[in-house]
Order: sequence, then structure tokens, then C-alpha cells
Amino acid sequence: MSSHESVNILMVDDQPGKLLSYEAILGPLHENLLKANSGREALEQLLKVDIAVVLMDVSMPDIDGFQLADMIREHPRFQKTAIIFISAVHLSDLDRIKGYERGAVDYISVPVIPELLRAKVSVFAELYRKTQQLEKLNRELERRVAERTEELRESESQFRSLANSIPQLAWMTHPDGSIFWYNQRWYDYTGTTFEDVKGWAWKTVHHPDYLHEVTRKFQHCLASGEAWEDTFPLRGKDGNYRWFLSRALPIRDVNGKVVRWFGTNTDITDRKLAEEALVKSERLAAMGRLAGIIAHEINNPLEAISNAFYLLRDHPSLDEEARYYSKLAEEELARVAHITKQTLSFYRESQRPIPISLADVLDNVIELQSRNLHVSSVTLDKRFQTQGKIQGYPGELKQVFLNIIGNAVQAMPNGGRLRIGLRESTSRKNGRRGIRVSVCDTGIGIPRENAKRLFEPFFSTKEAKGTGLGLWISRGIIQKYEGSIRFRSIALAGTKATCFSVFIPTAAATEPTEIAALVA
Amino acid sequence: MGKHKAVIVCVDDEQNPLTLRKLVLQKAGYEVLTANSGKEALALVASRKVDLVLSDHLMPGMHGTELAEQLKAEHPNLPVILISGVNDLPAGSTIANAFVSKIEGPDALCKEVAAVLNLPLDACGN
Repeated sequence: MSSHESVNILMVDDQPGKLLSYEAILGPLHENLLKANSGREALEQLLKVDIAVVLMDVSMPDIDGFQLADMIREHPRFQKTAIIFISAVHLSDLDRIKGYERGAVDYISVPVIPELLRAKVSVFAELYRKTQQLEKLNRELERRVAERTEELRESESQFRSLANSIPQLAWMTHPDGSIFWYNQRWYDYTGTTFEDVKGWAWKTVHHPDYLHEVTRKFQHCLASGEAWEDTFPLRGKDGNYRWFLSRALPIRDVNGKVVRWFGTNTDITDRKLAEEALVKSERLAAMGRLAGIIAHEINNPLEAISNAFYLLRDHPSLDEEARYYSKLAEEELARVAHITKQTLSFYRESQRPIPISLADVLDNVIELQSRNLHVSSVTLDKRFQTQGKIQGYPGELKQVFLNIIGNAVQAMPNGGRLRIGLRESTSRKNGRRGIRVSVCDTGIGIPRENAKRLFEPFFSTKEAKGTGLGLWISRGIIQKYEGSIRFRSIALAGTKATCFSVFIPTAAATEPTEIAALVA
Repeated sequence: MGKHKAVIVCVDDEQNPLTLRKLVLQKAGYEVLTANSGKEALALVASRKVDLVLSDHLMPGMHGTELAEQLKAEHPNLPVILISGVNDLPAGSTIANAFVSKIEGPDALCKEVAAVLNLPLDACGN
């Protein structure tokens, strides 16, 4: 808008001569001068165009200036219109007050001093102009604000999409650390609503063992403004805990003051489990190496001593008593040999897959469990229909069956029957030929609610004993052989039976078309 | 037992085990010569008629399997048995006629020797 857009000045007087003279006086202002001869004409003009200043004669025949002013002020549109009264009559202060009460803006007495009239009109004209400019500016601003708001909404919508589609859980906090926003992944994982976890209520999905330390570190960072990083478990909606690597960064304003924190939690459970499994397998490998060394060191003198006792047998210089002692010692030594053979050979692992007999592996494991079987009064029913020859690593297979058979024995603390079957079989899934080992016990069984979670890491029904990793690792090992582990637990008429079935293929996988033919 | 006693060369770098093994085999009815290394064993075999070589596997210098390889190369009809404290079959041990683990005991050793020599078990003298 140009700095000087002319505004409309309305001059109201019943005498045309006066109007002309006002016109002449106000001409130099270069505003738009409008004339009205009567109150009625004045009102008409007011309704037609926007008037900045109304110049009016107080005493007009048809309508009194004050009355006109009243009428003008009645319209909300004209509440603020400047009205200047021109009065020939000397106005007392009382009259002026009356005028001001009606909202008159100013008075000019007759005779009119041109400079004075010009000055006053100019001031109100300028005021009006400025007000118009201001209003225009405001409208412009409002438009821009609306635009920006729309852009912001668009950008926020994009942010929301982004925040909700990243795989991490994300959240934002006020400077004091209380959370005011979570992304959708958080709610999906934890199964919570905002009400459940707003502010500091995120503590409820933390593992109690870790909560104290996590809170302490977080508060330290809130206070110091350092980036926060920590690793801890969070409870998912299924009640299980998973591990999350968590980070938060402070967001600062132009003055460097922290206005909020933006944080994420990244699920690293799989990586952590892989690390633990690796550590465990490395430990087993180290034990294997150690066992190999010990075995060798023990076996040498063991052989020598066994030979010495062999020589003492029926030695002529020994009397009956001495022969008896020698015999006892020889028997105990045989036990030592037996123990080292079983336990030290367990951890050894060959470098390449070698031909293995699953029957031997199972016998080995049964041997190791023989004491437990005896103590728990468990009877063994062995049904081996084949040697079960496969290519593999004896150590890890022993681990798998020790885990499964060990579990079966532990399920029968007060006696029962352990049936171990070994036969050639075909996979129900893909028709491959292979060997099937079944381990069945008549023990306490596996409740339905545990069935789904049995192969999960960290799931254990053994209370203090067991890491809960046994079945998870066993399944992993069998999967390496492209085999499978399944189980069934049933309770019928008072008897319970749980059966684990391990299938290890011996033949290569068949072509898809062959599988279809088998299924058809 | 008037027939010819089979001659066994027993090889081991450790003295006590070697002596005891020799005594066990003698009690079982064999004539036993001893060697403390693969080199000594090869010299013995070259110097007279031998029916079997029974060698420890882990020895300084020449291992039992190396000895077995050399023996088989020079005397293909001479049976070789490897005996060892390790529970696993060492690589290349299949060149020997049999592998015996020390942990199996003297009775098992005698059985294996008799089997390799194709002699009836009676010869064990037990």
C-alpha cells in the first residue's frame, strides 16, 4: 500500500457556500472530499463508502449535529469514525462534554481558521490511514500465519509418518525428563496407551532389576545436558522382556538452553542372544580343548597303572589277601577309566563333520544320566531300530540329547519311564529321509500356556536351575542339520506323557516338484 | 605253547608305560622288544624279523602315525597298531591296522593284538 492513499472526508453542511469554503481549505491535503447537504445525505454517503473523517455543522435545520452523531455511532461500523463538529455558536464546556459523550472527536469554532481545520482533519485522516494500513498488515500477517500453520501441519504430518515408521521406539521429553510424546512403535511394542506411560510412568515397563541404574544415568544426563546412552530390557505387551540400546539427545534453542530431549530405543535382543550363544560355544570349545589335554595327561598314567594291576593278577608272590586288595584297586581304577572316558570325551569337538552313530551318542548320554535315572527310580526303555549313522559333530549332538534326556529325567523326580526310540523315518514336512530320535517321559508334563514359549531363549520352568537357553540352543543346533525338534505333552485318564521328537535328515532336500508329488 | 612266539616291537618315549606294556605283552605270551623313538623302532625292524609294531602316537620327533607310514612303505606286510592317550582317531591313523585307546585297558589291548596277528585269543594267556 502506498504511503499516501487518499481517504474520504465527508463534509456535512446545509449551506453549500460553507461546503465550498471547506473544500478550498482542505484541498491541499489531497484527500477525497465528499459533500452532504443534510443529515440524511450524510448517512447515505456513510453507508456507501468508507469515511475517514466526518466534518459536520452542529446546527443544521433538519437534524441536529448531535443527533446525527448519535445515529452515526449507533452503527457498529462507525463507532470509531472521526467526527469534527463545526459550530458557529459558542459552545460551553457543558456542550462540549455532551459532544464528547456522543463520541465526537473534536470541535472547531467559527470563524474557522484554515490552518487549524487543515491540521485537525489531517491528523484524523492520517490516523484513519494508519489504521487501515495496520488492518491490511494484520490481514496479511494472518494469511501468512495460516500458510505457515498449514506448512507446519504438513511438516508435522510428515514427521509423524517418519516417526511412526522407523523401526525404533521413539519419544520426546520436556527439559525435566518427563515424556510427552511416544511414537506408534512404542505403543505397539509395550501394548500401553499414553495415559499409562506419560511423564515418568515409563518406569512401569522397565525390568525392576535395571530400573534404578537406568533412572540414575538418565537423570545425570538431564542435569548435565550430555547425550544419553544405555542398554536395558523393556517389557513387551506379551510380558516378555527384550533388550534395547537406548539413546537420547538434547534439543536446544538459539540460546543453547535445552527445550526437549529426543530419544530412541533400538531392539538388540537378537544380537545379544547371538553374542551369548557365541560366548557359550566358545566356552564349550575352550573346555573341549582343555578336556582333550587333560584326557591325554590322565590316560597315560592310567594305562600304566592298569597294566601294573594286570601284571599283579594271579602273581605267585601275592597271598589271598594281597590279591584281594589288588583286585579291588583294579576295579576302582576301571571306574576311573570309565569316568574319564565318558566325561572328558563329551566336550571334544572335531574340526570337520565326521561319521557319527546316533546310537553311540545316545548311549553315551544315557551313561551320563545313569546315576540320575537310578536316584529317581526311572526305568529305561531303549528302542533302537537303527544305528542312526549321520555326518556331524558329536559334541553338539551330545549336548542336544543331554539337554532333552536330562529334561525328561528331571520331569520324573519320583519315578517313571523313559523311552528312547531311534529309527529311520521320513520328514512330515518335506518327505526327506532321515533319522528320528524320540525321548518320551511319564513325568509332570508341559502345561499348555508354556508350550508356545518352550523354545524361547530365557524361558525356563526350572525355577533357579537352568539358564532357559538349553532348548533354544538345541533347536538351533538341530536346525543347522536342517532337522527339527517337536514335542507333544498329553494327559489322559490320570497318566501324563511328554514326547520330544528330533528329526535329522540324511538325504539331500528334494526338488520342489518332487515334494508336490509326495504331498499330492 | 611250543610254537614260535610272535615278536612285537613296543615303541614309547616314556619309560614306565613302556616297561609295563612290555610286561603285559610278555605275560600274554609274546616276545617283546622295546624302542624309545620312531628312529629306534625302524632300526630294530630293519635288523631282524618282527611280527608286529605297537607304537604310542604322541612322541617327540617322529609321531606314531609317521612311523606307521614309513613302516608301511618299507614293510607293507608288517602289521602296525597305534596306541594313544587321546580319545579321538588322529588324522592319518587309518594307515595303521588298528588304533587302541590307552583308556581301554590291558585286556582290550591283548584282544586287539591277537586279532591283528590272527591268533586265537588263548594266546593271551588268560
